[in-house]
Amino acid sequence: MLAALQQEPETTATQPAISIRNVSVRFGEGKGEVTALSDVSLDIPEGGFVTMLGPSGCGKSTLLRAIADLVPTSGGEISVLGRSPRQAREGRDFAFVFQDATLLPWRSVIDNVRLPLEVGKKAGASYDDPHKLLKMVGLAGRENALPHELSGGMRQRVAIARALVTRPRILLMDEPFGALDEITRDKLNEELLRIWQETGTTIVFVTHSIPEAAFLGQHVLMLKAHPGRVKDFMKVEFPAGRSLAIRDTVEFITVTARLRSMLEECL
Amino acid sequence: MTHALSTPASRNIEGNEGLFHRIADMFQRRLPVILTTLGILVVWQVGVTVFNVPTFMAPSPTAIAVALYENAGTLWRNVQPTMLEAALGFVFGNLFAILLAVWFVHSPTAERAVYPIAVFVKAIPIIALAPILVLIFGNGLTPKIIIAALICFFPTLVNMVQGLKSASPAMLDLMRVLSASQSEILWKVRIPASLPFLFAALRIAATSCVMGAIVAEWIGSTYGLGALIIDATFNFRSALLYATVVIAALLAVVLFSLVSLAESRIVRWKPAASE
Repeated sequence: MLAALQQEPETTATQPAISIRNVSVRFGEGKGEVTALSDVSLDIPEGGFVTMLGPSGCGKSTLLRAIADLVPTSGGEISVLGRSPRQAREGRDFAFVFQDATLLPWRSVIDNVRLPLEVGKKAGASYDDPHKLLKMVGLAGRENALPHELSGGMRQRVAIARALVTRPRILLMDEPFGALDEITRDKLNEELLRIWQETGTTIVFVTHSIPEAAFLGQHVLMLKAHPGRVKDFMKVEFPAGRSLAIRDTVEFITVTARLRSMLEECL
Repeated sequence: MTHALSTPASRNIEGNEGLFHRIADMFQRRLPVILTTLGILVVWQVGVTVFNVPTFMAPSPTAIAVALYENAGTLWRNVQPTMLEAALGFVFGNLFAILLAVWFVHSPTAERAVYPIAVFVKAIPIIALAPILVLIFGNGLTPKIIIAALICFFPTLVNMVQGLKSASPAMLDLMRVLSASQSEILWKVRIPASLPFLFAALRIAATSCVMGAIVAEWIGSTYGLGALIIDATFNFRSALLYATVVIAALLAVVLFSLVSLAESRIVRWKPAASE
């Protein structure tokens, strides 16, 4: 239940994977200027799974995109594994999964997963085996299919395999399962937890689903809107472990009820 | 387009029997249009005979068939230069349009500076331009190729610019996260994304380049289908005129089919937007 970290960065134990200090993001100029994020500070621990939740307009996607060097910050500082977002991007420290799978429709599944190996600077980088990754996301045997032959859930699995092929230390996910039906989403949530445990990757996951945020996140970052700023950074623990069954337990419902009331306060 | 999906699998297992079935299947699908065409020809033949229409006004289908047979040598000799002009015009016009579109997409300034001129050139009636080009380049192949190229150029430019810009913002974000270079974005994303747009334009260009070559041959040319059309008209050789028109149309259909064939080989995917 740590509030947003205003205190000095701790010198103990491990360095955070992502450190955000007093970050603000403004779009537009003059009268049309919109403040998307205002004075956001927090640390995301290495190997952690942080879900971001908040009302629309709270800038959760913007924060994720700022970490990924897709949106320039107007003030403050973001450090990704001790480097600037730009250096981290060029060093392939993170991968990004978009809401839309964003597969190249003219490329087969396996060639989509290989895309990161074909572009960008890749000096000294190590890569994972695309076939192994497709197996990991449950798509062995579909290597030569074209994206339009796959369901929405399968396309998103390909996108996850593509993100993992560069062995990123951080995985940034922007509502990756937002467009999927609930059953598919549940299944992918469970698989994502498994992948997280297998790879030890730090995951930052934007969602607008309260159960999803509670089920996946070791921490839930709650943002409030207009302008976007940190409402709470809440630790979520389920001693019994996380399987889909826990969602009917009292512990889980207590957490989602808390998140829901907090979300209502943000409006 | 839609059956492209099933072909790779079915091609492997199909022997002669499969090929036969495919031809039979194609024939069956084309049957309505074949019957309609035969119907029109019969009505035409009967009409011309019953109403005693003079041949110079409207020759009967059989007269045209005879003209096609009797003038096969002349037609073959004249279809060759027209085909060459049309094909070279197609290649140069489209190539220039594609290169210009790539330049526009990378330089908004270039687009603002050159696009309006392209629109103006498009606005000039091609038939008005032909005499000017003949004056400049003489009576050889050059002015015909230029006119065929000009006629292809504009639709391809417009479509190619649109196609290169059709890559979704998310795809461009993806390439940015991967730190891809501009040329990697061009070759891996923009150009593949533009292909359906490009082929739509190429199909138009395949027929219009033939028209461009023929129109160019009307201006004081001594060879080619265009010259043959003018010659046959002034000498009231109507059957030959119609036969020439049939050959010109066939030429356009052949080029169109080649482009369609290339498209079905190259563009096998469907846009992701159709989710």
